[in-house]
Amino acid sequence: MSKKILCFFMIVLITVSLFGCGKPSLNRYEAQYLDVFDTATFVISYNDSQETFDAQTRLIHEELMKYHKYYDIYNDYEGINNIKTINDNAGIAPVKVDSAIIELLLFAKKMYQLTDGKTNVALGSVLKIWHQYREEGLEDPAKAKLPSLQELQDAALHTDINDVMIDEKESTVYLKDPLMRLDVGAIAKGYATERVSMLAKEQGFQSGLISVGGNVRVIGMKGDTGELWNVAVQNPDTENTEKPYLHLVNITDHSLVTSGDYIRYYVVDGVRYHHIIDPVTLYPSAYAVSVTIVCKDSGVADALSTALFNMSYEEGLSLIEGITDTEAMWILPSGEEKFSSGFEELMTK
Amino acid sequence: MFIKAIYKYGDKMNFFKKTDLLIIATILIVSALSFGIYQLFLGGSAARAEIYYEGELVESIRLERGEEKEFSVPEAPSVVFHLWPDCTISFSQSDCPDQVCVHAGRIGTVGEFAACLPNKLVLKIVSDGKDEKEAPDIVIGN
Repeated sequence: MSKKILCFFMIVLITVSLFGCGKPSLNRYEAQYLDVFDTATFVISYNDSQETFDAQTRLIHEELMKYHKYYDIYNDYEGINNIKTINDNAGIAPVKVDSAIIELLLFAKKMYQLTDGKTNVALGSVLKIWHQYREEGLEDPAKAKLPSLQELQDAALHTDINDVMIDEKESTVYLKDPLMRLDVGAIAKGYATERVSMLAKEQGFQSGLISVGGNVRVIGMKGDTGELWNVAVQNPDTENTEKPYLHLVNITDHSLVTSGDYIRYYVVDGVRYHHIIDPVTLYPSAYAVSVTIVCKDSGVADALSTALFNMSYEEGLSLIEGITDTEAMWILPSGEEKFSSGFEELMTK
Repeated sequence: MFIKAIYKYGDKMNFFKKTDLLIIATILIVSALSFGIYQLFLGGSAARAEIYYEGELVESIRLERGEEKEFSVPEAPSVVFHLWPDCTISFSQSDCPDQVCVHAGRIGTVGEFAACLPNKLVLKIVSDGKDEKEAPDIVIGN
């Protein structure tokens, strides 16, 4: 008789496993692009068909490309006045621009206030110098040099965000200081990611993830599984293959943005100089190796990740704890990890 | 019938014979050992490395433990990939000026990626088969 009992349990087990293996009705699709915001963009979605996914990614790509052109500071595009056009006309004339630029710059001013100037889109004159030295150093590493403090301090005289004159009624932007340059690199990707994600959501992108160079925005759950999205924060020690990522963060309808110093850099006399410049010292910021922000809006997350990178952990913590539904994680130069009060609740235990 | 069965054996509460337990234990031990051996020697990481050129899949390699080689794809001959014996892969050489792809290091976990913009290449790690619940959807750094 014990065999019969065993048999019964086995039948139950097999039946349960068969039902458990039932395929979900939505499939996972992925696409990637390299032609927007000078970075790698990934789109992941759970969808009923490849056709639906293709239509959604077409919209996402087209929209990202639109913002890429508007927010570009290096290239001209026919028939478009972009940030470069505004820079080219500094001290000369107001430039008529699309509302996407006006709204970005108004948002940038808000972020400047929120971060006490640690995220400043008017820092372009300083960032331009670093960009030039970095490009030359990468082109010919033997001749890589650092800019002089004098050169940087001279440029820093032209970084007052109040000189960015925005006329919402006329839809124009004018840089009052002729030597001022806008550089929206610290906020544009995140801001564009947020706007595109919201538009895509309205158009039926209900279960997806968009990542534009480390600016991740997730929408809904993973298909019809009811599971949260798992976004991993990379280990800054990229050669550590045993531990490629430090933590897995579980989110829905939120953004996760990481700023780090370990991928984009150039080397002068054996020392790495990364791309995030502290507006106070005018040199690459040295407070952290990586800062991750989780909050709803990807634009805010992008601005805050740069801001926290440019301030001490204590200052950053005090800023983050004052903003609702916003969490942060730091990896300090010592390798020590720090978290805001609610960050660890988001992590896979 | 089961109630009867339990009643019948109830006085001794002896549902299984010793030999049944022995068989179950043997099956469990053999399964665990086979799984371990498979994972150690044959299983690899259950992941694939996919290489995309201009958004199109041009190469797909299963990450096998113990395998090591360097290779390029015809679309970008100046870029060299290195497949490592510990189921990781990296951009080992590239003619791009910023070397961002090389700085990304060795990747082998599902959700990791590295990209070389000037050469229009994306290297990403995908699951080789079933979706794992705890696997990252994407690994983010900068």
